[in-house]
Amino acid sequence: MKKLFTAAPLALAIAATPALAQSTEETLERMQQQLNAMQQQLNSAKDTGVRFNGFFSTGFARASNDAGYAGITDESEVADLSLFALQGTFDVTQKSQIVMQLVGRGVDDWEPQVEWAYLSHRPTNNLQIRAGKMRIPFFMYSDSLEVGYAQPWARPPQSVYGPIAVTSYVGADASYNLNFDNSSLTATGFTGFTDEDGNSGDVQLRNIAGMNLTWTDYVWTVRGVAATAEADIDGTRLGALAAQSGITLPPGITQLADGDRGNFFGLGASYDDGSWQIIGEVTRVEVDGKFADTDSAYLSVGHRFGSWTPYVAAGWTESKDDDERTGFFIPGVVSESILNYQRNEYSIGTRWDITPGVAIKADVTHVRGLDKGYGNLNTEHMLFNDTDSTNVYTLKIDSAF
Amino acid sequence: MKKLSLIFAASLLASPLALAEVVVIGNPSGPDSISANEVRDLYLNRSKALPNGQSAKPFELPEGNATRAEFHSKVTGRNDAQLKAFWSQQVFTGRGQPPAEAASASGMKAQVASTPGAIGYIDSADVDDSVKVILTP
Repeated sequence: MKKLFTAAPLALAIAATPALAQSTEETLERMQQQLNAMQQQLNSAKDTGVRFNGFFSTGFARASNDAGYAGITDESEVADLSLFALQGTFDVTQKSQIVMQLVGRGVDDWEPQVEWAYLSHRPTNNLQIRAGKMRIPFFMYSDSLEVGYAQPWARPPQSVYGPIAVTSYVGADASYNLNFDNSSLTATGFTGFTDEDGNSGDVQLRNIAGMNLTWTDYVWTVRGVAATAEADIDGTRLGALAAQSGITLPPGITQLADGDRGNFFGLGASYDDGSWQIIGEVTRVEVDGKFADTDSAYLSVGHRFGSWTPYVAAGWTESKDDDERTGFFIPGVVSESILNYQRNEYSIGTRWDITPGVAIKADVTHVRGLDKGYGNLNTEHMLFNDTDSTNVYTLKIDSAF
Repeated sequence: MKKLSLIFAASLLASPLALAEVVVIGNPSGPDSISANEVRDLYLNRSKALPNGQSAKPFELPEGNATRAEFHSKVTGRNDAQLKAFWSQQVFTGRGQPPAEAASASGMKAQVASTPGAIGYIDSADVDDSVKVILTP
């Protein structure tokens, strides 16, 4: 009996030693597992499926006269270039999400407007389908038209980006992405309609159908686009201008297009090797009726020196169907030729990346050839003045977060 | 003998350089290798899947990090300001979100080790067996 008592603690001690070691190991393993679980929880908290991003711009622009190039006259207001946007991305499932972007602009008293609101679905790695309100992808920078931070310039070249002021549509698109060894091709088909306030008044585009092809090898990017739509364009601004002068226009005379066929073609290319940044676009807009058909092009060359990227750009735009506008809106006073276009523009400027997320831009743009046609300018001023050129000075801050 | 000591000296000189090399790492459950082009496509929002078809979860180190700069100069050819401009274009056109960020090499390892489909990059000196090296660009 005594023997047993003495042997028992010994046996316990012998048995306990490995047990203790084993439990330390087990504890460690348990702790490791808990740590992993916590890490996973942390990760999933990050992936709750809601993300917010935004961008902000503010700046100052003034012109040497009241010609109204890009809407800028010699009285400048800081609010002119100010805008704030907030975008929410909400994951519906792993393959679907809803994107909504609200933009408030200084010129609209910061009243928020919905610029993007769509549901996107990615059934496979290469295919994306979207439906809702989106940007009309006419130009290379259409999608990020107001995201100054994503652009090299103080403003997109007006020769190409000015004549079409309609920027959004409601509809659907489908993009297919093909990745090759050293390049990638994206084909996008889009369709929908829009009813917006354009340069000259109310613009409706119905049954928009378009195709967009983009190829890139990560240095070169080449993009082609073709689109067609039925257009209703009512030059309500002409009516307002006439009313200001106490003239009532005959009904329907400001209807520049009424269910007429409108076609759009664009070809763009860019080169970006990290130091040189070269961008060019050529576009053609054709609308049956009085609305001006325009050909436009620009070429921009920039070079990065550390955080500085100075650039020069040249642009040109011209209306091609001036012979369709030989009548008068207001007999003897306002001829239809005020819708004609013709101008050359030259810009020199720089982007300065003060920190990732914030860039300052300064730009001087000289525009000439205005007296040959002043569509999309300050009509009141141009009608009664002999202005052939204008200089526009811009200082701007662009941020993305 | 002289030649041998020269080689020894050279290897001593070379070794810190060899250690300071960026490697692409993956979650242990993921594929064993990936090509530089596939990594570039993942980090430039042109692909969302790993070579084995698994949904990819790329991770980045913070802006200004030397390993990040080396990785991008070798794989995407873009610097921080270019990447920021690129992603602001992608984000605000709804095409995608930039990769999640890990604060440090150890944070990157923890994220990649615990996230199925994860891919990241660290200095080869920081590699341990919680993750696997799938490419040395």
